[in-house]
Amino acid sequence: MQNFKALLERSVAPNVVLALLMAFPVAKAQTAPSQSGAQKEHKSAPAPKHDISGTWDPGDNGIGQLGARAVPEDGDPAHRLPYTPAGLEALKLNKPSNSVRAVLPAETNDPVVTCDPQGMPREDLYEMRTTQIIQMPEKIFVLYTFGKVWRVIWTDGRELPKDPEPRWFGYSVGKWVDDYTLVVQTAGLDERSWIDRAGRPHSDALHVEERFHRVDRDHLELIVTLDDPKMYTKSWTALDKLRFDLQPPNFDVREMLCSPSELAEYNKLIGTPASEKSKK
Amino acid sequence: MLDRLIDARLVILGLLLASAAAQAAPQSAPQKDPKPPAATSRPIDVDGWGRPVSGPPTARSFPPALRHDISGTWEPAGGPLDGVQFNGSKAYPEDGKNDREPPYTAPGRKLWQGNKPSIGSRGVVPAEANDPVIACDPQGFPREDLFQLRSTQIVQTPVSVVILYEFDQIWRVIWIDGRELPKDPEPRWFGYSVGKWVDDYTLVVQTTGIDERSWIDNVGRPHSGDIRVEERFHRVDHDHLQWTVTITDPKMYTQPWVALDKLPFYLQPPSMDVREMICSPSDSAEYDKLIGNPASEKAR
Repeated sequence: MQNFKALLERSVAPNVVLALLMAFPVAKAQTAPSQSGAQKEHKSAPAPKHDISGTWDPGDNGIGQLGARAVPEDGDPAHRLPYTPAGLEALKLNKPSNSVRAVLPAETNDPVVTCDPQGMPREDLYEMRTTQIIQMPEKIFVLYTFGKVWRVIWTDGRELPKDPEPRWFGYSVGKWVDDYTLVVQTAGLDERSWIDRAGRPHSDALHVEERFHRVDRDHLELIVTLDDPKMYTKSWTALDKLRFDLQPPNFDVREMLCSPSELAEYNKLIGTPASEKSKK
Repeated sequence: MLDRLIDARLVILGLLLASAAAQAAPQSAPQKDPKPPAATSRPIDVDGWGRPVSGPPTARSFPPALRHDISGTWEPAGGPLDGVQFNGSKAYPEDGKNDREPPYTAPGRKLWQGNKPSIGSRGVVPAEANDPVIACDPQGFPREDLFQLRSTQIVQTPVSVVILYEFDQIWRVIWIDGRELPKDPEPRWFGYSVGKWVDDYTLVVQTTGIDERSWIDNVGRPHSGDIRVEERFHRVDHDHLQWTVTITDPKMYTQPWVALDKLPFYLQPPSMDVREMICSPSDSAEYDKLIGNPASEKAR
């Protein structure tokens, strides 16, 4: 908490974030009043089998301002990741505008700040908000709020491609390991993306595993585990059972899109002057 | 990667040859010396998973359309680039040969002249273009329909129709639960959309509340915050869809105009993986450094 306070004093970015959070209040404020507040008191119903579809709200637990929620970059030794030497070198090159390694807004090289695609797994680990999941017989679509991007998970039994052309969102295949748990493997990821807001790096060898577990009718949990032998000596859990509440199907997700022209406006009016001021 | 493409092409060539042989003599043994595909045959393509993309079906008749159903993976029937619309809205090109001007009002014409596209009959060098999409601003709507419209997946739920575009991997929701468009909403790049079935095979969609910063198309046709876009999705038969886009914006245009007129699509198998195509400012910066800026300097 002390680190965070010092951060607020010397950086505008968290204030921008706070402003953003205020402009985009978390989903609970938007739903039909009687529905989501009452859900916690209602007894849920059993989970449907092989079904993670729905409009899912994680509240503000998926924002990940300090990096992957299970291991935030907050200076706590328990949250230090098992970097290889190459991983440590790559980490130094990434200059985030938040977390304990934060630099001034004008100095950050966070590609998402300038509107590069988040890619995977960052789309799960930063600004994870109300997420729509639509199931078809052979595939599952995940529709994210941030960036308004969709992603496909193939459940038709195909294998991951061998040595594919890298993509920001890679290639995903999923399999039901029991009646209520879908396990998804993703590989073929473009190494330019950051793993999270704190700038954890990854190589093209990164392999992401997501476990979507339908707890009951109204709740879903997501676990994200990363394995990248070039950057980390062992696999680590980035998201540990992020919990989602089911929203009614008529819930309209707010629009949240990165715009370089808006960023230029922000930098001109606030970011660059504030950075100049901080330097003095 | 090149090896993989060559392998895919060999597979496709084999498929084409086998198919040509089968069509030529369906009842008898395959021909011994099948001819190579004609020079005018459709370009060979692969999907995002590296698998061959099937061309438009060549049957003479098709099963009937499904009622109230436009779902599927839809591919432009005129070729993979038929919906790209580099020179502006397909029905109103600005290509220096077939230029067709939408009915601008005076303010509309003024804004149009201030928008400097990188292509078309008014195209300028990259360094002078002010097209917001070049810098990776969201396309917004209706430009998402009028520039880089490619393989498009449509899914239906009981309350909504969701369109998943290839370009920028954007999803857009159309509410079909009977709700009305919001009055005076906060503008969004993609506005607010509601749809209604007007007959068994035609979904009509209205979109308003659109952020005025976007361009309508790739050559800079402008719009105001009062623009209203109507789309008609018509399921022709089981395998074909037509997509029509009409623009109404009295501030900018003296009358409505049809920007996209029944663009035809055919149905792909649901197993087709759509290629990833996402605007990346760091890619653009790289392009500008290596090619765009030097070329612009040279052109001057």
